[in-house]
Order: sequence, then C-alpha cells, then structure tokens
Amino acid sequence: MELTLESAEVDLLREVPEQMRALYDAPPDDPARARLFPRAYLDPTEERAEQEWEALIHPELLRERLAGLDRVVAALDRAEPRGRRFRVALSPDEVSVWLQVLNDARLAFGTRLEITEDSDVYRIAPDDPLGLEKAAYAWLTTLQGTLVEALLTAVPD
Amino acid sequence: MWQVHYEGKAVVSDGSREKCEADVARLHAHGLWATLEHPS
Repeated sequence: MELTLESAEVDLLREVPEQMRALYDAPPDDPARARLFPRAYLDPTEERAEQEWEALIHPELLRERLAGLDRVVAALDRAEPRGRRFRVALSPDEVSVWLQVLNDARLAFGTRLEITEDSDVYRIAPDDPLGLEKAAYAWLTTLQGTLVEALLTAVPD
Repeated sequence: MWQVHYEGKAVVSDGSREKCEADVARLHAHGLWATLEHPS
C-alpha cells in the first residue's frame, strides 16, 4: 500500500511516536496512559489476581507498542519525496502495525481531549482552545479509516 | 466459570480464569477494554 502525504502530515505522524513514548513514561494513574493499560478485574476483591495479571501482561503490551512505534518511524524514514509530498510504501504487515499505532494514539489523545461517541471531531469551533489537537485527532481518524478501507478493498493474491 | 465482558455489558467469551485472562489480554492489545467477571 502506498500513502501520499503532505509534509505537514508527515510531521504530524512523526509526533505520534514521540508523544506516545512520553505517555508510556507517564505515571500509571495518568488517565490517557491508564486507558491503554486498563484493569482486567474491576472487582476489588480480585486485587491480587489483577496485580499478577498486570505484572505478566503489561510489560509485553508495552514492548509490542514500543516496537510498533519504531516501525512507524522506520516507514516514515523511508518516505520518498514526490514534489512537495512524500510517498510511504507499507507492506501488509506494516499496515496492521500502523492501524494498531493509530488506534492506540486515538485512544490516548481521545482520553486527553475527552472525546466521546457523541463528539463531532470534524466540526471544530474557531475559538476552541483545543482546536489544533482536535484537528490532529480528526486527521488520524481519517487516516485510520483510509487504511481500513484500503484493506477491505484490497485484491487478494 | 468466568466471563469476559466488553464495555461493561456484552459477554464475549467464557471459560476458565486462564482462558478468560488470555482473551482479555488479546482484546487489550487491540485497544478494547474488556474485563473479567465471576458471575455470582
């Protein structure tokens, strides 16, 4: 799959791994970070099971996520200039990784921006102090949708 | 018997604690917030 990106879009995508790495270093009670490492047990009487589960699962989850971020950066580093734009070629495997990274980023940013199912991120008031962040979130949403559509319409080998 | 819940309501799988924990881990890896419950 080939993506053609504007320079500003490449810059935005480069921000994602940086911000996600900073988030993974945030304290565990940071709501955006916690959304990516949620509890398995809500029942407070299962606290011991929860701690054991977190000790087992969270390091692996973090490793996978960091590896995904590295692959996004690697793909962007390979981007070829095409006039003022950039072409990024992604293998099917990389498309999956990009989808996971985009999903994680949207969960994290969505938590920070308090995005809900009722939010319309494509309609941003001109005086919204979080307008730029919401626009970035909306663009990441569109990119994720584009990748999913491309996967769904891909001709199988 | 344990159950895996998604969004606090839908039961998406059930089985032993080990099986449900594995299911929950996989769902979390996909960004879905699933939890385990032991229905009383």
